[in-house]
Amino acid sequence: MDERQESDERRRSPTTTARSGEVWIDSEDDILRARQQARSIAEDIGLSITDVTRTVTAVSELARNVFLYADEGVMKWREIEDGPRVGIELVFEDDGPGIDDVDGVLRADHSTSNGMGRGIQGTKKLMDDFELTSSAEKGTTILIRKWR
Amino acid sequence: MTTAEDGSVTQVFDVLIANFPSRPTDQAVDQLQQAVLNEMEDVNPRGVVLDISAVTTLDSFFARVISETANMVALMGGRAVVVGMRPAVAITAAELGFGLGDIETARNTDHALTLLGISTTSEAERDG
Repeated sequence: MDERQESDERRRSPTTTARSGEVWIDSEDDILRARQQARSIAEDIGLSITDVTRTVTAVSELARNVFLYADEGVMKWREIEDGPRVGIELVFEDDGPGIDDVDGVLRADHSTSNGMGRGIQGTKKLMDDFELTSSAEKGTTILIRKWR
Repeated sequence: MTTAEDGSVTQVFDVLIANFPSRPTDQAVDQLQQAVLNEMEDVNPRGVVLDISAVTTLDSFFARVISETANMVALMGGRAVVVGMRPAVAITAAELGFGLGDIETARNTDHALTLLGISTTSEAERDG
């Protein structure tokens, strides 16, 4: 398994971290591993079955995008706390070609032939938080969160 | 035999039942679609039940393959019924805007067999 758990030194306001780790994505099987890791964490923190399903579905879309468009990348996951709230945060990073038209991808009418836009738009709908940064130089980073 | 990763295609009367796995790789989903179409040619069934009751994550790829499979079955002269979508999967699919178009759906396999014109009560118990 290309995944490892590690203590996380980051203490970014307003969230703190309980557990964290990462899953490398460079094969189709890694999409499955990313889903399984996300499901395990989402269930551990007590998300409802519907929110677990939303989260795992979002992870499947984003992990597949990493593999299809960048060949390889990483999913970093954290259990997060913000006061009384707990949640799961997942960050997908790749050094791929980037997205030329970020606003366009997030518009409902935009989709590449393989449906990247649709997957990203859907992911945004399913999650509580969604942040996308992309450039040709730095690749693409997408952060998603679901709070319990 | 259906496992968490691999699906299966079985025959009941003159109907094929394709069981989609709960934790499929993309490759496993593609292979199951191919297996269904190959069996269509061999068995010449009146219909195909696409059983997704084990499926816990229906992403855009998986949804597209299921929808395409149903269309391919129809093109080959069969009738496809999608069976057993879980509530959380249905909620997520609706939020994502995935539809199955004109494809028939059923709550369970018995219901699907009834839709396909097969009575499942006495025969199923005897053959069970």
